[in-house]
Amino acid sequence: MAGLINAEKPSNIDDYKNVMVFLEARDGKIKKPGLEMISVGASMAHKVNEMLIGITFGESVGSMVKEAGEYGCDRVIGYESPDLKDFRTLPYATLLSDLILELKPNILLIPATRNGRDLASRIAVRSRTGVTADCTELDIDPNGRILQARRPTYGESTLAEILCKSHRPQMATARPGIFPVPERKKDAKYESEARKAKIKKEFMKKEIVDFKPKTTVDLTSAKYIVSGGLGLGKASGFKLIQELADEIGAYVGASRPTVDLGWIGKDHQVGQTGQSVRPKVYIACGISGKAQHLMGMKLSENIISINTDPDAEINSISDYIINADLYEVLPKLVEAIRKKKSEFEMQSSNKKAEEKPVKENIEEKKEKKPPQ
Amino acid sequence: MGLEIIVMIKQVPDSSEVVIDPVTFTLNRGAARNVINPADENAIEQALLIKDKNPGTNITVITMGPPFAETALLDCMSRGVDRAILVTDRAFAGADTYPTGLTLAATITKIGKFDIIYAGEESTDSSTGHVGPGVAEFLGIEQASYTSNSWAEDGYVFAERQLEDGVETIKMEPPCLITVLTNANMPREATLRKKIDAMKKGIETWTLANIDLQPDWVGLKGSPTVVKSMRTINEKKREGKKFNVDEMDKFVDELVEKGILTFGVD
Repeated sequence: MAGLINAEKPSNIDDYKNVMVFLEARDGKIKKPGLEMISVGASMAHKVNEMLIGITFGESVGSMVKEAGEYGCDRVIGYESPDLKDFRTLPYATLLSDLILELKPNILLIPATRNGRDLASRIAVRSRTGVTADCTELDIDPNGRILQARRPTYGESTLAEILCKSHRPQMATARPGIFPVPERKKDAKYESEARKAKIKKEFMKKEIVDFKPKTTVDLTSAKYIVSGGLGLGKASGFKLIQELADEIGAYVGASRPTVDLGWIGKDHQVGQTGQSVRPKVYIACGISGKAQHLMGMKLSENIISINTDPDAEINSISDYIINADLYEVLPKLVEAIRKKKSEFEMQSSNKKAEEKPVKENIEEKKEKKPPQ
Repeated sequence: MGLEIIVMIKQVPDSSEVVIDPVTFTLNRGAARNVINPADENAIEQALLIKDKNPGTNITVITMGPPFAETALLDCMSRGVDRAILVTDRAFAGADTYPTGLTLAATITKIGKFDIIYAGEESTDSSTGHVGPGVAEFLGIEQASYTSNSWAEDGYVFAERQLEDGVETIKMEPPCLITVLTNANMPREATLRKKIDAMKKGIETWTLANIDLQPDWVGLKGSPTVVKSMRTINEKKREGKKFNVDEMDKFVDELVEKGILTFGVD
């Protein structure tokens, strides 16, 4: 435990080397936000001729160590113990802090998931260093090997670059869904080590008495999203949203008021208190566009707004605006899309064999429709 | 049996009144009213719910902030909080999450015995979520973050954590720290009677001298991180091209032409 003590500047700053990433896992598999830190971590490490060290904890770590190495870690250390099966703050924080003392990493990255932030806050204090939360850009300045941690602030309008020059490790949590998952290479070369962890009984006092898995709708990696807002007027309005979504292979999103009213599950919520999305196409139906909603979707590549209010705030960030009642627009839009799709199918079936993939792809897309 | 509860809050500019400058995309805080950070209101309510069920419970609310943060503390007392301490000192200015946590933890150490510390999941103006768990680390106690509900039973503290992939129920021994999600509950309104009591009772004001920390451990000097630069996130210029409800065929043609809708060919 830290005790009431200040952030201390280590005198041996040059001894701190390499980039360490904490690969959060569940049920023996590294979770996506962990994998997302590997390519950005590796490119920073390699830029200054250092290693990317992956750390993973679990009941058994054999397959996870392999996974971490094949995804691009230069060295992987796994700690295993039945006590590490589930994330618990104290055993995880203690093991990771001890590893920091042992390996002296220059940089430590942790996913900005809820457990990741739970852990990162404590590690920073115990290591008497700083941590930058929820970064969307990470780079290293080779001069002094300084981490340039950038995070959106002020309602996602500004990007702040935050440095931690004289404390080590330089820590950051990385926002899920931003950094790409690297390609997995079966022939990757890496050092690996599985260690048995001994967890003190006093750290295991916090019990997890129940865990109810949630079926999640991962909107963060969706390519198409059709979202409904209060303009739907009623819960059944989401059927219309679903219909359009089915037609283009999209996921269904929602504004917060519709979730608060119980019209749709919280896992569909887009915005500051929901998921941050950046699909290729975001179709906002009956969404006025409160700042909190815009924060979660304004990075979408193309935004289409369907709204009766010509002054709806969302229109100011829309590429296309259909200023009409969504109950009138959506059936017509669905019809127009069906028509266009059948034109495509006609064209491709009329043409020769080389055109065939177009049609096959259409069918494949249909099968890939997201579960709702 | 009554519990000793401490709630940590922060006063922030009201995000619903904050105006984003359309040219620079920066936040115009000047116009906004100061309010209790939304998640902290839920933390206060969670503490009051425990007090409702466990008579004899004492709630102390603390904040590190400028003198005008007093209004946020009086607001908490008007809802039923028993004691309020404002920790304020010029030396605290410019603190990042490390010295903020340290200052609050030192304050709590001076307050003395407690069973549960509550805090909001994060503040709307800096959104790190680091201060709560940081305080737990300084004090060496257990924590449960991102909770939607918590309660005291048979000498234990239970909390439901909302994770990305499920809901976890935690059982801990006090003393412990719990961070509460925004919208975890419906914060109660202040009552006139409690408001009058609060005004009579007033708040306590502490400074650096009250909490035994060295001046260079707090504020900007005690902060390991610095903000090097800020830049506006360059947003895509959006045309806002309009289509009528009767032009859906034309609209879909354009979307296909521009490669926005591809029907699975890409």
